[in-house]
Amino acid sequence: MRGTGLQLPRATIGVSRWRRFRAAVDWPLILTVVALCGIGLLNLYSATRGTRHHAKFDTQVKWMVVGAIGFVIATAIDYRALVRLAWLGFGTAVLLLIVVRLLGEEAAGKGSYRWLNIFGMGIQPSELAKIMVILALAQMFQDGDLSRQPPAVLAAKGFALAVPVGLIAIQPDLGSAVLIGLLIVTTGFLVMQSVWPMVHLTLGSLLSIPILWETMHDYQKNRILAFLDPSSDPTGNGWHTRQSIFAVGSGKISGKGWGEGTQNQFDFLPEHWTDFPYSVWAEEWGFIGSVFLLAIFAFLLVWILNVALSAKDRMGAVICVGVAAMTFWHVVVNIAMVLGLAPVVGVTLPFVSYGGSSLVVFLCAMGLVANVSLRKHGY
Amino acid sequence: MLLKSGSGSGPSGGAALPELHRRLRWVALAGIGAFFLLAGRLWQLQVMNGEGYFERTVSNVVKERYLSSVRGKILDRTGVPIADNRPAFNIYLTPGKADQPQVARDEIVRLLGLSGDEIEQVDQRLAIGRKRDPKKPMLVLEDQGRDRAALVEQALARLPGVEVHHEPYRFYPQGDIAAHLVGYMTQMTADEADRMLANDTSELVGRYGLEAAWENYLRGKKGIERFAVDARGQRLDEKTAATLIEGERVTGAVPGANLVLTIDLELQKLAEKAIKDSRVPAAAVIMVEPKTGKVRALVSRPSFDPNVMTGHLTRQEYEMLRKDPRKPFVDKALRATYAPGSVFKFVAALAALEDGLSADETHLCQGYYELSGTTFKCNGTHGKQDLIGAIQHSCNIYFWKLAESIGLDRIAEVARLYGFGAPTNLGLNGDGSGRIPTKAWYEQRTKYKVGYATNAATGQGDVEVTVLQMAMAYAALANGGTLYVPQVVERVEASNGQTINTYQPTVARQLPITADSLDIWHKGMWKVTNQAGGTAFDHGFLSTIRVFGKTGTAEIRTRAQKKGEDERDIENWNPRRSHAWFAGWVGDHDPEIAIVVFVEHGGSGGRVAWPIAKQILEGYAAKRTSVAAPAGDSVKQPLLPSGKAAIKAMEKPAP
Repeated sequence: MRGTGLQLPRATIGVSRWRRFRAAVDWPLILTVVALCGIGLLNLYSATRGTRHHAKFDTQVKWMVVGAIGFVIATAIDYRALVRLAWLGFGTAVLLLIVVRLLGEEAAGKGSYRWLNIFGMGIQPSELAKIMVILALAQMFQDGDLSRQPPAVLAAKGFALAVPVGLIAIQPDLGSAVLIGLLIVTTGFLVMQSVWPMVHLTLGSLLSIPILWETMHDYQKNRILAFLDPSSDPTGNGWHTRQSIFAVGSGKISGKGWGEGTQNQFDFLPEHWTDFPYSVWAEEWGFIGSVFLLAIFAFLLVWILNVALSAKDRMGAVICVGVAAMTFWHVVVNIAMVLGLAPVVGVTLPFVSYGGSSLVVFLCAMGLVANVSLRKHGY
Repeated sequence: MLLKSGSGSGPSGGAALPELHRRLRWVALAGIGAFFLLAGRLWQLQVMNGEGYFERTVSNVVKERYLSSVRGKILDRTGVPIADNRPAFNIYLTPGKADQPQVARDEIVRLLGLSGDEIEQVDQRLAIGRKRDPKKPMLVLEDQGRDRAALVEQALARLPGVEVHHEPYRFYPQGDIAAHLVGYMTQMTADEADRMLANDTSELVGRYGLEAAWENYLRGKKGIERFAVDARGQRLDEKTAATLIEGERVTGAVPGANLVLTIDLELQKLAEKAIKDSRVPAAAVIMVEPKTGKVRALVSRPSFDPNVMTGHLTRQEYEMLRKDPRKPFVDKALRATYAPGSVFKFVAALAALEDGLSADETHLCQGYYELSGTTFKCNGTHGKQDLIGAIQHSCNIYFWKLAESIGLDRIAEVARLYGFGAPTNLGLNGDGSGRIPTKAWYEQRTKYKVGYATNAATGQGDVEVTVLQMAMAYAALANGGTLYVPQVVERVEASNGQTINTYQPTVARQLPITADSLDIWHKGMWKVTNQAGGTAFDHGFLSTIRVFGKTGTAEIRTRAQKKGEDERDIENWNPRRSHAWFAGWVGDHDPEIAIVVFVEHGGSGGRVAWPIAKQILEGYAAKRTSVAAPAGDSVKQPLLPSGKAAIKAMEKPAP
């Protein structure tokens, strides 16, 4: 856009601020997000209508409104101001994670503490932590040359980033913990001058897996074992994966039609609206619909990276890379799980899964990207 | 590409984050790789294997159940049911997961006020069902009354997983009458259940008698019901099911065919009653129409109640029946073989007559006979006897002398012509062959002695026959020399009464016998039952009808008594006593009915078997007019078009 103004007729120089703002808003990003939210609602309606879970549709719409407000706020406040407060927000998230451990509501029968009841709304601090980690990363890597920061401060920041991962892991919510880990490592790979620190971190993590295994809960171990051999226990842990694969496969090329998926309509996929919405989608819309949804996510990722590359400053670019990494891993891990390529872990499909915390956090994250996109024009 | 153009048009050309710009190629490669992996997996699942997974999801929701077909009835020649069906109400409960059925179970216990034993049974069956297939309804209360079924049906809404099915149960209205002929049913083996499309092995299959031999006709064809269930195994409503299931949801069952027997239930009952009245421990009676070979009565006692045998037999009852020395499970009319005694004498007599013996030739009976240094006793001292007199008095000495002249092999030859030594081809309950020894047979074993021929002539020694063989042979003697294959099934008809197949009398062979020879034997038989000195006449005379007869008293070879055998307290049962026989027929030129009465270890044929035959024939004479009616006039039962209608009809109280 720079320089084009000179070629415009003088009459247009005094164009209103509103029209300039409208031109600067990242409409493709917004349209993509709206499309994904629409697909999510469509799918949720099919998955829950006529069951005792039908109220979930209304709940999801309410959360979407909350998320939209979050999007506007995340866009409106200059990201540089937000990043300045990054560690404050990060500290709050960690505090909430500690609180949830002490006061949170126990998930039924699983012995894990993930939910916090605030004003009658169930909130998952682990979702909030993701966005705070992204802002903290932006603050940490706003200067490309890390050597300009005191080594002690740098070490403290690195350690601080590991804290929420640990706290979430002991909830225990292995899926979210691994996801935040992946988010940090991926962002590190893409924004650090040297890839070697992240290579070492990755290798170190892989080597610690056997130790991690020993500290895992039995139900977590069983899920992973069931993933490795789904037929070993067809009615137990392998059940979800097997029924999900049946559902996806049975969609064939064009699907059974909206609301016609027998696997989800007759409850062969328990809790399919949170972790397995893609399975519902694939059963009812077939290969064509499944690839279409995959393509929309791909476009979203490309667009976010596009914003990163065109960002005005390094800080904004890191935010976009973080959001892209978070979205990428959510999509890939969730779909891989649905398709039987990954163990069953509680990782949501952005915008499509039922659940307020995830939806609001992703809408806020997209708001941050829109923020960066908007401000490359000088806002 | 989008990324490149984006980077190019940025305010700093990607300079804001040069590291990203540098690694973009790798990022794109990794991202594209991950998405292509997912898309490839989708291709594999949905495009390559989609059809198979589709089938799997259909089988997830669409289940099949076989609908039982109503079993065909077994009717006597006039249409009176001997084997029938009655409605039974069975209560099923689907065990489901963990303790899901507990609510329904508690409610049923409360509702029906179940006894302790019944509760225990319900819990046991639930446990078995849960182990086998928790999603399949398990039969927990079998054969319940109408009121209990109604109670449960009214409360079905409160009873998740409970079903009440009205299922026809086999029922034998005549009790133990003709039990060996009709047979019984028992639970299927796993193999049979598989072959006959049974839902499980609790279904019954014909195991004995006509129920087993005619299983394929009686069984009918199973129907199939397809229905939809959700993940918990709960049945979905009809509307949903209709959208899920392609094609017919219910293929109706075809009811089994009815067997119309040649048996005349009135005669059968007469015969069974005569045996009961005589208080003999074990006996068989067969009545055959000489002109057709159709069996009108077929009795083997002691027997069993097929109602008890069919699914309700306790271990205790079974053990009792099994240990009974009279062997209630052995068909004494068709399967077991016995020495025939003097009723067999016609073989030697006719053989000799055909070889040129003159009926006037006489032998002197002094009451004993010496052969190879051994003295054999006759049953009396008969003096000078011609053939007819020897038949009348059943003089052994006369027949021993005959045997010496014609020889064992000639006796065996004629015996085989009359059907002995081979199955009668009735095709039921083992259909025994018996044994007709020849010289060669003895030489294979020991050494032939002339005594074997004299034994064979009087139906002793190694000769063994079935009661049915004897009945068919006497029918042939009565009708002038046509040996028939016995027939018990008159026709097979569909459940709507339409005849599927009518069976015609089958001739086994025309016997090479002259009327003159037969006439001499007939005269002898006439004297047995109608003249003083006749072995039967001395124990009773029937004046109302013309009866031809021959008695037999077959001695039992002495054998060591098994330990404890006689300790059992069974009236009149003495395994060392002779078998009592009577064989004969009614009517001379136009024989109506042939009869053989056999009393196992009964003693004298004249004293024990003949009175039984006499009682039966007296009853027969009284009812003669109705018996003589042709089979076509048989009373038609109300016939039912389909399985459901049949069950409905059965639910109506009997008039």
